[in-house]
Amino acid sequence: MSTATSPLNKSAEPTTWNFMLLAQNDLGGFGGMGEGMSVQIAKDGRRIIWLAHESAPKNFTAVDVSDPRQPKVVVQTDLPKPYMRSNSLELSGDIMAVAYQTQKVNQQPAGLELFDVSVPEKPRSISFFDCSGATSRGVHQLWFCDGEYVHMASGAPDFVPSHPLDDQFYRCIDARNPSKPVEIGRWWMPGTKKGETPLPRHKLDKGYRAHNTNVYKQRGDRLYLCYIDGGMFVMDIADKTKPKPISHWTNSPPYTGFMHTAVPLFERNLLIVTDESTENKAEDWPKLVWLLDARDEKNLVSISTCPLPPVDAYANRGGRFGAHNIHENPPVPTAWQSDQIVIGTFFNGGLRAYDISNPYQPKEVATFVPPPPKGTPAGAVQLNDVFVDERGIVYTVDRHTGGLYTLEMDF
Amino acid sequence: MDGRDKSGHDEQGMNELFPSPAAGRFGRRLKRERGARVPVIVITGFLGAGKTTLLKRFLDTPEGKGTAVVVNEFGATGIDDVLVRASADETVLLGNGCLCCITRTDLQQALRRMVVERERGELPDFRRVAIETSGLADPSPILQTFATDRALSGVFHVEAVVTVIDAVTGGDTLQWSVEARKQAILADRLIVTKTDIAGESAHTALTSRLRALNPGAEILEAVSGEIDPGRLIEPASNQRNSFVAEASHSDGIGSFVLTEETPMPWAVFARSMDVLMQLRGPDLLRVKGFLNVEGCNGPVVVQFVQHLAHPPVELENWPDDNRQSRVVFITRNIAEQQVRALVQAVRALV
Repeated sequence: MSTATSPLNKSAEPTTWNFMLLAQNDLGGFGGMGEGMSVQIAKDGRRIIWLAHESAPKNFTAVDVSDPRQPKVVVQTDLPKPYMRSNSLELSGDIMAVAYQTQKVNQQPAGLELFDVSVPEKPRSISFFDCSGATSRGVHQLWFCDGEYVHMASGAPDFVPSHPLDDQFYRCIDARNPSKPVEIGRWWMPGTKKGETPLPRHKLDKGYRAHNTNVYKQRGDRLYLCYIDGGMFVMDIADKTKPKPISHWTNSPPYTGFMHTAVPLFERNLLIVTDESTENKAEDWPKLVWLLDARDEKNLVSISTCPLPPVDAYANRGGRFGAHNIHENPPVPTAWQSDQIVIGTFFNGGLRAYDISNPYQPKEVATFVPPPPKGTPAGAVQLNDVFVDERGIVYTVDRHTGGLYTLEMDF
Repeated sequence: MDGRDKSGHDEQGMNELFPSPAAGRFGRRLKRERGARVPVIVITGFLGAGKTTLLKRFLDTPEGKGTAVVVNEFGATGIDDVLVRASADETVLLGNGCLCCITRTDLQQALRRMVVERERGELPDFRRVAIETSGLADPSPILQTFATDRALSGVFHVEAVVTVIDAVTGGDTLQWSVEARKQAILADRLIVTKTDIAGESAHTALTSRLRALNPGAEILEAVSGEIDPGRLIEPASNQRNSFVAEASHSDGIGSFVLTEETPMPWAVFARSMDVLMQLRGPDLLRVKGFLNVEGCNGPVVVQFVQHLAHPPVELENWPDDNRQSRVVFITRNIAEQQVRALVQAVRALV
């Protein structure tokens, strides 16, 4: 047997398998995107996706994706300070919550801003909830699906962490009166507040901080809270003023921490949990998407992970390689819901979809690894976040320059 | 498939452990039979029939983009491979020998390697595989390969067997060659070439001979390799009409369509096929079709090659209003009435 060598053979070929790319938009040259993606149906019927940026100078960008083959930027706003970032946003109806984090503690503004986006071209600030302080960098991530409560990972002026990296914890903000949001509950991982017995530091030491704070209307008394180096918690928030941990699961050590997102699949009694890869050249490999048997929420059992391609084929392509965000089935009318398919972004590993009908054997069913976007300093695509709308259109964003990609699922 | 009233994911208890209203007894309901697998087109046909010309033309069309070609050559010169390689994204040349008997392992290895190399980004993206068999190949072992090799069947899906027949000499070849007849009988699509240089009577005679051999297959004509490229790669239809008459041939090979008007308990079909496979597996050359299974939303696609069963797949939707079960049997010395009687007997007992 012999094999003919194709003249096209080289490493790092782009791959598109069972996704169909509809369009890419670099968002006017500001295509470095964060991990906030939310779809609005505007009053005039337009479908607008609101996107958070990875870093300054841009705050957020709204894109008309009524025709996903021709996404058009509707509005793009600037952050007031270069040391700010607004990495996370979420929309409920016409009200959008935006998270503001600063590079260092004691910088302003840091907190939560609510906008009226009923006229997408003219976002109007409704209120600002200040989270800045001597030991706070503000808000990193938030969840706002019910139009009533913002669940967020935030610092606070009155919270002194036992370690500078442990400054952001879970805070529940009552936004029923959006002009006057108030904190009604908070919880931090024991050991992260000054005076408590400090937690052992991890090898990469990314901090014991809250990250994703997911709450679903199917189980409004539960919070699925990831805590970076602290693993993840299932929380009882039946009384939002007194969140209580029900169970805790972690993979680190021996893994390298940075637990990011936990998505419950209620009818199937499963939990999908992601790590975030934070190191270039896959130095923190493996960063994975984990499936947990959650039939007993007090005893979570890891049963499988979503398989990734060989690390040596991706580690040196540029930037990071490994898990990050997944489509979180947010309980809003504009989001696709599935307990059979997990779709996630893996930085230079692209966008990947997995069939989890047999949760013991997740199987990759679609892949999208585009070529390096123009001007990227990473040398490779760094797909950062993904959202799927109720039509089944997939939106994914690059962390540096690639902006927005729209795709169809074909599997 | 075993004799229990269970199969696929249900057999592993997934529906009980992790139930989902979005899944059926066979797992995730699929939009199409191949699901996420790589479509494979098997192009077969006798020496000189025009397979390579057809494939080469196809690769030059927009529809042919992203086609990886696996060729097996018979003889040392490798002329077929040289012709194709100029335009294929990726060609894997299998060694000297007939794909059906000598190089099946090579085929498996080649296909596995292609998947690994694509995953690693070392191979240009491909969206389908075309396997061009040597003229002498019997397609059934190739089909078996995709049913037996667990890794392959999870990744690849044979969408159509296309058999190319030369209008000038095809009639004679079908007379003297068992392999040629088998190629025609097992095809989903028959493409008659060189109709421009064949006499009208020879062409007509060949067409009627092909109709007799394989009443369910589409018959298309190609001149100088020209054919609507979409037709070459179109998935085989599972909707062969029930009016297809039982056809039988001198080799004892026959085909018929088993139909059922009412939904069938899965156990009835599964156990009937168990019996057939145990007693007469080698004579079940190919069985494929839609089944209306009790409790399922869409049609369940079933496929068997001799003693091997592909995992059943439930589709999201029926393609039309017809809810009839229709399963095509291509068998050797097994009559329609025998299969029908078996199914009825099992139905009465289950």
